[in-house]
Amino acid sequence: MKVVVCLKRVPDVAEVDLQLDPSGRRIRTEGLPYVINDWDNYALEEAIRIKERTGGQVIALTVGKEPDEEVLRRALALGADDAIRIWDPLLEEADPFLIAVVLSQAIKGLAFDLVLTGVQASDDGYAQVGPMMAEMLGIPHVTLVTHLGFEGKKALVRRELEGGLEEEVEVELPALLTIQSGINEPRYVSVLGIKRVAKKEIKVLDLEALGISPSEIRPKIKVEKLFVPPSGEGAEILKGSPEEVSDKVLEILEKGGVI
Amino acid sequence: MAEHRQGQLRDITFEMLKKAQGLSEALGQEVHTVLIGEGLSEMVEGVRPYCHKVHLVPVEGVKEFEGEVYQAALTRLIKDLTPSLVLIGHTAQGMDLAPALACAINSPLVSDCYDFGFREGRFWAFRQVYGGKLSAQVEVEGSPVIVTVRSGSFEAEGLRTLGGQVVSWEGPVGVFPYKRFLRFVEAPRAEVDITQAEVIVSVGRGIGGPENIPLAEELAKALGGVLACSRPVVDKGWLPKERQVGTSGKTVKPKVYIALGISGAFQHVAGMKQSGLIIAVNKDPKAPIFGVAHYGIVGDLLQVVPVLLAKLKERKK
Amino acid sequence: MEFAQKFELYACLQCGKCTGGCPVAMRTPLNVRMLMREALIYGVDVLLGRPEIWDCTTCKTCTLRCPRKLEPSEVLIAIRAKLVESGRIPKNVIDALEATYVHGNPWGRARQKRTEWAKGLGVKEVAAGERVELLGFVCCAVAYDPRLQPIAQTFAKVMAISGVDFGIIGIEESCCGNEIRRMGEEGLFEELKDSNKALIEGSGAKEVVALSPHCFNALKNEYRLEGVRAIHYTEILEGLISQGRLPLKGPLAKRVVYHDPCFLGKQNGVYEAPRRVLEAIIGTAPLEFSRSRETSLCCEGGGGRMWVEGTGTGVRNSEIRVKEALEMGAEVVATACPFCLLTLEDALKTTGLEGKLEVKDILELLGEALGVEVDR
Repeated sequence: MKVVVCLKRVPDVAEVDLQLDPSGRRIRTEGLPYVINDWDNYALEEAIRIKERTGGQVIALTVGKEPDEEVLRRALALGADDAIRIWDPLLEEADPFLIAVVLSQAIKGLAFDLVLTGVQASDDGYAQVGPMMAEMLGIPHVTLVTHLGFEGKKALVRRELEGGLEEEVEVELPALLTIQSGINEPRYVSVLGIKRVAKKEIKVLDLEALGISPSEIRPKIKVEKLFVPPSGEGAEILKGSPEEVSDKVLEILEKGGVI
Repeated sequence: MAEHRQGQLRDITFEMLKKAQGLSEALGQEVHTVLIGEGLSEMVEGVRPYCHKVHLVPVEGVKEFEGEVYQAALTRLIKDLTPSLVLIGHTAQGMDLAPALACAINSPLVSDCYDFGFREGRFWAFRQVYGGKLSAQVEVEGSPVIVTVRSGSFEAEGLRTLGGQVVSWEGPVGVFPYKRFLRFVEAPRAEVDITQAEVIVSVGRGIGGPENIPLAEELAKALGGVLACSRPVVDKGWLPKERQVGTSGKTVKPKVYIALGISGAFQHVAGMKQSGLIIAVNKDPKAPIFGVAHYGIVGDLLQVVPVLLAKLKERKK
Repeated sequence: MEFAQKFELYACLQCGKCTGGCPVAMRTPLNVRMLMREALIYGVDVLLGRPEIWDCTTCKTCTLRCPRKLEPSEVLIAIRAKLVESGRIPKNVIDALEATYVHGNPWGRARQKRTEWAKGLGVKEVAAGERVELLGFVCCAVAYDPRLQPIAQTFAKVMAISGVDFGIIGIEESCCGNEIRRMGEEGLFEELKDSNKALIEGSGAKEVVALSPHCFNALKNEYRLEGVRAIHYTEILEGLISQGRLPLKGPLAKRVVYHDPCFLGKQNGVYEAPRRVLEAIIGTAPLEFSRSRETSLCCEGGGGRMWVEGTGTGVRNSEIRVKEALEMGAEVVATACPFCLLTLEDALKTTGLEGKLEVKDILELLGEALGVEVDR
């Protein structure tokens, strides 16, 4: 089976005090630690497992600059057969739509059986690229996949709904699936493993190589500015009697969309 | 788009209606709701009063959400009705449908928004980025604008009566044999996997003893979540290992983490510090948990939790 | 066969001295004698699926006792290395290794916050271009864990009080890699070593002092430092005390028993320095466990055990230890290793001995004896 998997490298911002760059539209990235997007990691593991089970190929792609090749090296270390990085200066302000355009263009001639992406990215969290790619490629898609099986030329998947409920969906291949975290247990990729694939070729494609003209590059959405949502530093201590604090907690839970 | 499942309209529908009503007033535009599938006559009265028009798109054999069907129906409706804004829930349905729809009709999509509107004719939306550490103001190019709305962003209360008309659409929507909804599956409950929970109520040594754990469990249930704990609780045998959060236990990233009687020892915090909303209850005002929590209550959890639980139960009624 | 040759497995007598001294042999299925045999006869691959591989604390007792000078602990680490290459290792180990790669510490804490413990103490940082005579290697756990930060803070203050030209690396310090290597990630260990080594050797320091015996072990035995000698903090303190450079206020009236950490004691032979320091603090020689020095009972905190629970059930060694301390009438268990400290303190909680016994690092006791205050 030929599986295409799309990966993104994102900053790990868990304990970082994010600073805005002068434009106010992006964060300052100097000194930030970067990791493979968690959902994409599950997708990659799933792709490799499919290859291990059924034979075939795995092709990994990313849209980004040279440091982003790190996620492709991870894929190669895990046994991916090919790795492609797409970049062009015109993609600096790319939105999910444009990312989907270039990714689709890169893979449309590859006669794949399956395209896997993560449900969303942990930095901007749009959750758009996967289904948009499917639409552009003219293949069906299923999102939030928690379990994946094959039956001939069909994929039998389970997808995650709300409140612990899931649904079973049957889809004909070729198809695109967005993979939910927890579908599998990603294995570890060692430093030596990465070193071993350091010399493997990563194809780099720009817009010209993809056959996309600059006039086709217009993002549909744009971040106008980033701002800090109003909140406090350290725990806001709620004061009062058990009655009073309970009321406050209920309010907080409501605002958080929990109840 | 009205969202429904198993014959019931889902809450997000009314949250979106609330916001739509507000926009409708401000912009002088109508609110139209779309109901697709089967069993529509049972559901239509649930939305009709709150919008100007309800469009029913009956599709035989499609009782539950099918992305291809909904996309085809909405594509037609959008072409005919030319709305300025299309609201879909940022839910399992919306995440499947909206991006493909946006692509098909060549419209901008801003997903997972918690607020949005028009200012001097220009659309704006707010959404969270970087795990909620920052918010982004997003602008678009193109029309209509499709927005998927984050659950819980708007109150589904105080909806005005707009006395809507019902319009039934005729004609086939299309057949899509290459993708089919088969059935629902209840998630397996054989083993507790706290890492997949959206809400966690976690207990530490401050719970006092195993006899108090059912109280915490009740709170977890009332919030639709699961019970977890810190290491000492497992060590004492009060809860099984699979519930442990921490460096030698599990790492969790739920939407809400309520820490009861947990001091916030380093190894525990490492396993839950990425939780979306952390509320801590502890007798010790210097407990390190307050350094990582968003909200804190300095007090006796055995006094606070029963009251909180009672209020939650009342609210449900 | 390559594996058997590399570790000279055919020379193993099967005498059982290794398993006989193994601190977890009674509590877990780990039988290192048998592993040596099976690796020879069946090849190492059959051993890869055994969960008890992760029970080993790498205390090295087996290697130290082997009459043929074989290295069962290294065999075990090599098995882990194969597992690491296969990617099939426990989730907690994956998290610790990935965190170390990304953030420079296995706890996943931000590198930017590595020196927060030193705020307001005016500690020199060599990465900022300063040069020092004595370089401190702080240790990830000590740098980030609020329970352990007083160890570093007290040491920094002691350095200031005694006028030593002391400094630390700063946020560029990464995990020493001692546990990383013992969890099988050779490649990551090499990267950590290369990075730290360059910083240490470039500091101008003649000596690098480690606050943790685990860091001490790596720096002394595995880094091959050039022109810099690695020591443990107890050795520095011993020197300062014997030179009368520490204004001790008078003996602390506490009954203290000393627990030898494996990585300080049996692996690196540092037994006297911590005892002399304690004697200066409490005015008398500390109490001794019956299993002390070379036969000290491993607390089960090393070899990745801070992240892997282990398969064993029943009473833990750390619980045995604190109960022994109570029985001998001790008020404080003193140790010189942050992992021992955390593990033994945990044991106080699970045995219900909190309030009856305390676990302290030697530096904490020194701080008390000097009247040095630190933020807790």
